[in-house]
Formats: sequence, structure tokens, C-alpha cells
Amino acid sequence: MRRHKSDRTIAALTFVLLCIGLIVIYAIGPMRANVMNSVYGSNVGENDFFIQQLRNVILSLVVIVLAFKIPYQYMRKYAKFVMFGGLILCGILFGLSLINSPLAKCELGACRWFNLGGFSLQPAEILKLGLVLYLAQLIAERKAEGKLGSSDFWIPFAIVSILSLGFVVVAQKDLGTGIAIAAIILSMLFMSGVKMRYFIGVLAICLAGGVASIVVSPHRMERLMTFHSEDSSDAYHIENAMIAIGTGGFWGVGMGNSVQATGYLPESINDSVFAIMGETFGFVGLVVVIGCFTALLMRLLRTANYLENDEESLVVIGVFAWATAHVVVNVASMTGLLPLTGITLPLLSYGGTSMLFTAAALGIALQLSCYTSREPRQEKVVSTSQPKVRTMRRRLE
Amino acid sequence: MRLGLLAAMSIIVVRLFFIQIIQHDKWAEKAAAQQTLQNVLPAKRGEIYMMDGNEPVAVVMNATVYTVIVDPMLANRESVEEKLGSLIKDKQIAKWDDVFANRTRRYYIVAKNVERKAAEQIADLDLTGVWLQSNTKRVYPEGELASNLLGFVNAEGIGQYGIEGALNDELTGEDGLLKTIKDINNVALSIGDDNVKIAAKDGENVVLTIDRTMQHNIEKILEKKSQEIGFKNLEAIVMDPNNGEVLAMANYPGYDPANFGNVESAAAYINHVVEDPFEPASVCKTFAFAAATDLGVMTPDKTFTNFGEITIDGWPIRNAEQGANLLGTQTMQTAFNYSLNTGSTQALRWMGGSETEITQTAREKLYEYYFNRFGLGHYTGIELYESPGYLVEPNADMYGLASTYANMTFGQNMQATMVQVAAAISSVVNGGKYYIPTIVAGKMVNGEFIANEEREPVRQTISAQTSASMREMLYNTRKMWRSNGTDPVGYYVGGKTGTAQVIKDGAYSMDETQATYVGVGGKEGELPSYVIMVRVWEEGKLAGGQEHALPVFNDLKNYVQNYLRIQPKTAE
Repeated sequence: MRRHKSDRTIAALTFVLLCIGLIVIYAIGPMRANVMNSVYGSNVGENDFFIQQLRNVILSLVVIVLAFKIPYQYMRKYAKFVMFGGLILCGILFGLSLINSPLAKCELGACRWFNLGGFSLQPAEILKLGLVLYLAQLIAERKAEGKLGSSDFWIPFAIVSILSLGFVVVAQKDLGTGIAIAAIILSMLFMSGVKMRYFIGVLAICLAGGVASIVVSPHRMERLMTFHSEDSSDAYHIENAMIAIGTGGFWGVGMGNSVQATGYLPESINDSVFAIMGETFGFVGLVVVIGCFTALLMRLLRTANYLENDEESLVVIGVFAWATAHVVVNVASMTGLLPLTGITLPLLSYGGTSMLFTAAALGIALQLSCYTSREPRQEKVVSTSQPKVRTMRRRLE
Repeated sequence: MRLGLLAAMSIIVVRLFFIQIIQHDKWAEKAAAQQTLQNVLPAKRGEIYMMDGNEPVAVVMNATVYTVIVDPMLANRESVEEKLGSLIKDKQIAKWDDVFANRTRRYYIVAKNVERKAAEQIADLDLTGVWLQSNTKRVYPEGELASNLLGFVNAEGIGQYGIEGALNDELTGEDGLLKTIKDINNVALSIGDDNVKIAAKDGENVVLTIDRTMQHNIEKILEKKSQEIGFKNLEAIVMDPNNGEVLAMANYPGYDPANFGNVESAAAYINHVVEDPFEPASVCKTFAFAAATDLGVMTPDKTFTNFGEITIDGWPIRNAEQGANLLGTQTMQTAFNYSLNTGSTQALRWMGGSETEITQTAREKLYEYYFNRFGLGHYTGIELYESPGYLVEPNADMYGLASTYANMTFGQNMQATMVQVAAAISSVVNGGKYYIPTIVAGKMVNGEFIANEEREPVRQTISAQTSASMREMLYNTRKMWRSNGTDPVGYYVGGKTGTAQVIKDGAYSMDETQATYVGVGGKEGELPSYVIMVRVWEEGKLAGGQEHALPVFNDLKNYVQNYLRIQPKTAE
């Protein structure tokens, strides 16, 4: 397919969301600094968070441009490297955490970050990108070889899936990211064209694994049991998120007038930023934000639908699943629809790693949007039999 | 997948609509509940001053004291007992064994009213599980001085009885309010439109007309006289008849306002001078004679026939003095001197234009003078809790109005308070000007005394001539009866005794009377400069005006005359 102009909507929406995030951090950064200074006795400047976020946003824009410019055909050669690099880093982090190394940054017993001097790196982010690139490649190649149902596909698929989820959910105790990874794996598998009963089987295993991970972990069990009850830190967190959102009303309390950001709402600057936006910009603001995300995700889906190449299409599906999982899980827990998992809101939450990797994923999707055809892919699929075409269409719908 | 995405996003938007629009008020309320900082900014209670010459001095003040609280779970018993014990000393209210008996109890008050100095030392010890709480407390540098007049402040900070009670609103001031949005560390934020800050309005510092030294010494004299004459309860009021200012108002016995709980009953708090109406008895003849004189139906020399006892409405009216020399034709001055009830009854008859009958006009005239002019039987308006007392109206629908009004001429069948009588007597002797009695001279603002405006009389009770005539009658009466030697030359002193019956369970008690004396004095040839009223009583005892109230008055008069430095008229 000849390269044409990229999907400007994706680019524009990404930019708009980054800007909204920047505005919110600008408004609540001073409050966050104030809370930190009074609680930890730190000496954070009023605008430190904004400046940091501005740097992250600029860096993200650079990353998007790079991911857009570096040809996918070149990038794909390193898919395995990113995938296994991510897994190895997760392994190292786990090892470091076992020996209580200061290089492993832990919070509340969950070691999810490398402590690299001035900044921290979450290897699970690398894992997500690696999975998207690697699985797309694996599926497309096996599919081209007609071995999609064989052990040549299932064995590597199972290994990377189990290792990824194992590291993230078990070792790092990060159910939120685990859900995002599961979403990536399942979405890509769903769209791979694998027989439905296999997909349902994998889905069942994932659900069983998820339930098992909750049951064996007293911490998660408690989270689930106390979901919506009065007396736990999660209930407090959700309650205060909903207070923030509810207080916002239709128009919001306005910029800089968020009170919940002055320490009532935990993680107000990162995981809970959606609630603060609800307080500040009201129903109108949140509908705009949800609208932007929905439009962006729809464009990604459309891009996947219009990409002829299986691998490219699957990459975009992976990016879509990744972003969707983050948006839906984050927003659902902020609005009391799901238990709290601790997951960032893409492009809006304060936090370097998450934003940079989301930017990279979107940059790649943006690049691939240059290769869409004029027709949706299911109409163009000629190499496969008729029933399969219908399946594909239905799955995309 | 697209449908799934749209479904998920739709659910979220509906959920947002639910939270932000439908449930908005609920969440906003929850937000306000946790985000609002509401602090009462306590107003400082006003202090109470008395006059020391022309300078106000504080007699009721505020002090910061501390409550010491121990958390038995955190505190180390040995060090707390050893170090704290020596500092709190007699202020300790809990035994250490009790404090540490139950270590799960996190809060135990071990001492109250600890002074600032000791509290600072306790704070310096920095003991774990020990903390201090500050409160303000009333302190009384003058001890029991004027306790029944001043009242006290209860544990809730509300003034009770006396000045503290009656002027509670002025003394309390108005608490301020700080209502603001706060962050999680309780730091006030400038966010929000509902932030309120109302500064506390401190209570007024009230300056009384009471002279501290005079009050003190009059209480001392009452105490001494109580021993001498053998009666438990003595009350006195000293007024300036020319402006209605109360210079002293004493109740004996008093109580300790700092430990106001240590009394047998709440009756100990009563200020009898204003709150305890009684039958003022024969001192009221002054008002009856003043009324008759003012109406022009009587002079001190006018005569009447004293039968010793007369019957009105079937009730006898009898004189206490039944000497044969007093029967027959007598002057009104004699009737006044010997407190002849038949004489005052005759004055009443004259008021109605009759020699033998107590007419409606007579009753109406007496009522006009007693109630409307002299202010007997109703609130005077002094800045204290008062009881109004009681007068039967001249045309009340009852049997025996004539008898009742005859009794009222010698102060029975009616109820009045000492302050009413003292204020009325003031107007009788000062030329007929009635001043509302007052006990508040002004206020202290930033250490400066702001005096109230000069007081004006509110009405004329009797003419100046009548007043002069009554001064003469009072002088002559006293001159005849003065028991304690002669009043010094160059001074004017007049006065009238009274022996009041006491109503118990609706009937006159046979075994209790209260003795009163009301006297006025000053430089000879000038208007009197003081009015003193005394009451002596004890439950179940018979007190007499001559025997018990007069000697108390004499001592008070001598003291007041000296204290006020009243110069005698020098011979020309």
C-alpha cells in the first residue's frame, strides 16, 4: 500500500488530550506540592509538577514524532527484542525486589519501578509495547503460514502471555496493568481469526487466573470485599473521587478551585486526575474528555479496520486495547463502577513512563494510519473463505 | 469491538450524569462536611469593675487556667507520678491508682484549674501521654466581696445571678465565627465563596457604681452586727439620693463565688435587696404621710384623735405603742414618731376628703403615689434581676379594699423590695425627684473609663415643699428615737423604723418579723447625700426595727458619713 497522509484526527485528539492534562496539572500542581511539603516536609516548588509534566508532554511529542517517522518495517525487527527485553527487565526487577535493592522502587509492598536516580521506569510499560508488537508479528506470521491453530503459535503465545501476566500480576501485584495486558492479549487473539472456541478457552483461562489471583491475595480479596463499604482506604479513595466528580456538577467549580486536590483525594495528580477534572470542569468537561477518548479509540479501530496488512492491523488493535483498558478501568473505578486497581489515565495522568509509552504506541498507530486502504479490510480479504470474512466483520463491529 | 467500546463509554457517561447532575447535591454536601473548617472564635467575657474613689478597679477578672489530661496507655506511670505530682499538687482531682487502673482508657483528667506557671513547667517536661488544655476562669481578687450582687459564671460559661446573670449578654459579647474551606491538614484555603470570618466581639467591661471600699466595709459592719444582735441575715443598700447611684449593696452572709457550688442551697445566691420583696412595714408611713402632705390634706402639726385601735371591714387596726399618753388628740408628727397605724390610716381618710371613711378617691390617690410615683410594687429598672413586689389595685374586685389600703399606709398587705423603698425615699428627701436606681457607672474600653451619661430624674413624686416637710418629719422622728447617743452637731440625719410581719404559707407568721430601718443624712442645711436602708431577719426569730435595725443603721451611717467626708455645718 502506498503511503498517504496520516489520520489527522488521531494526531489532533492526542494533542488535545495532552494539552488538557497539562492544564489540569497546572491547576492542581501547586496543591499537590503543598500537600507533599506539609506531609513529607519536602520542598517541592509550586510549579514543579507543571514543569515536569510540560517536559513529559514535550518528550511525548518527540516520541510520537519518532515513532511516526521510524518506519514500522524497521521497527518490527526489534519487536522480539522489546518483548523479551521487557520480560527480562521484569525478571530483574523481581530479583532486585527480593534482595531489597534500592534500585527497585516499591510502594506498599508492590515493586513496580526501577529507581534510576532522578526518574523511575516501569518495565510493565515496555512489556505492553513489546506484547503489541510481538504478538502482532507472531499472529500474522503464523496466519500467513496457515499455522494459527498449531502449537507453533500457541506455545510462544502461551509463554509470553503467562510470563507477562505472571510478572505484572503476581510479582508486581499490579492488577490494573494486568487487566491492560490481558486486554491487549485477548483483543489481538480475538482479532487474529483464531477459532472462536479457542478464544473462549483462553478467555476462560484468563478469567480463572484473574479470580485465582484475587482469591490467593488477601490484599485483593479485601479490596473486592470492601468495594463500596465505608471502612477501607480504597473505599475512602473511591468516595473522595466521587465527591470530587459529584461536586463538579454541570459546569464544574472552575480552574484552581478544586478542593479535593488539596489532599482529600489520594493520587489526585495521577491515577485520580479524572475525578479532579470532574470537579474542575464538571459534567461538560468530562463528557468532552470521554468524547475525545472515544473518538480517538474509534479512529484507532477504524485504522485497524482499514489496514490491509494483518500484522499492522493487529498492532493497531493492540494499541487500541491498551488505551481502552486504561481509560475504561480508570474511569470506571473513579466513578465507583469497578473496584480500585490503580491504573493511569492515558495522556492525562501525571507520570513519565506511562505517558511516553502510550505516546510511542500512538505514534506507531499514527504511522500505520498512513497505510490504510480506501475500503474496510473485511471486504478486501480474498485469500480466506467466506464464513471467515463474516466472522472478522462481526468481531470488528 | 466498536459496539463494546461505545457501550462502555455510554455507561460511563450515564454514570457521570447520575453522579454529577442527579446526585450533585449529595456529593456537594459530603464535600462540605469534610472540607469545611468551622471554628468559633471565642469572645472574651467582660470584666467587672467597682469604683475606688474615681478610679475603676477590677473585682471580677479572667484568668487562663489549664486542665491536665493523661493518656494512661502512653504515659509512663513512674515518671508522670513523680514529675507531674509535684507540679499539680492540690489541683489534682484523680488518684494515680484510678488513672492507671484501666490503661485502655485514653483520656483521664488528673488536674483542673492549674495556673499558668505550673502549666508551663508541665509543658516543659514534655511527658509522653500528658497534655494540657486551656480554659478561662473567673477570678475574684476580692474574694467574697459583693458575691450576691456580682453572681458567678457556671461551668458552661453562662452568668448566673447578680450582675453576671443580669448583664450576661453584655458581658458575654458575641463569639466570632471562622468558616472556611480547608485542606486535609486543616489549613484554611481561599477557595470558595462561602468563607466567613466574623471577628469575636468581646464582652463589655462593666464598671459598677459600687464603691469597693465602702462595699467592703459595709459587709464587715454587717458581719460584726450580725454577731452583736444575733441575727443571721442582714442586708443593706447605700444610695446617692441625688442621682440614684447605688454605692453599696450588701447581703450577709455571702458566699465564695470561686467555689459557688459549696452552698447549702441556691437560696444563698439571692440578692435580697432586689430579688426578695417583703412587707416594708412602717417605713411606708413616710410615703403615706408624704402623699397626704403633697395633697395638702396634712401638715406635721395637724391633729387627729387616736383611739389606739380601730376596726375597718371587720379587721382591727392596732398601734404597737399603746401608752395612755398617746391616746386622744395627737399631731401627725407624733403619729409618725410613734408609728401610729391609726395616724397613717387617718392620713389616708383625709386623702379622700373624709374624716371617717376610706373612700375610693383615697385609695386611688394612695395608689397613684405608691405605685406610679414612688415606684413601689413594680420593677425599678435597675440593671439587676428584680422581683416586682405587689400592690392591690384601688378598685380591685375583692372584699376589704378599705382595710387593705389602711394596712398599706403602714406597709402591710403589700410587697416591695429594699431597692424600691430606697429609691422612693431618695425622691422623698431630695426635693421630689425620682431617679431610676442604677448600679452601672459605665464601661472600661481599652483601659479607659467611659462613664454613662449623667442621670436625669424621670418624674416628680412630690413637691419640693412636701419634700422639705418630710425631711423635717424624718429628722424629728430620728431625733426622738436615736438610741446610740446623739447624731453629731452640724449633720442632718433622719430615719424611720419598720417591723414587718412575714407571710408564711399564706398567713402572717406569729414567730417571725423582719426589722427595717431607712435613713437619710448629709450636711445640715443641705439636701441629704446618702440614703441607707437596712433589713435584719432570721427564720423563726422576731426582729424589731428599734432594737435590731436601728443599731445597724447607726453604725453604717457613721461609717458612710466619715467615708464620704461629709463636712458638718459650721456655726456661723
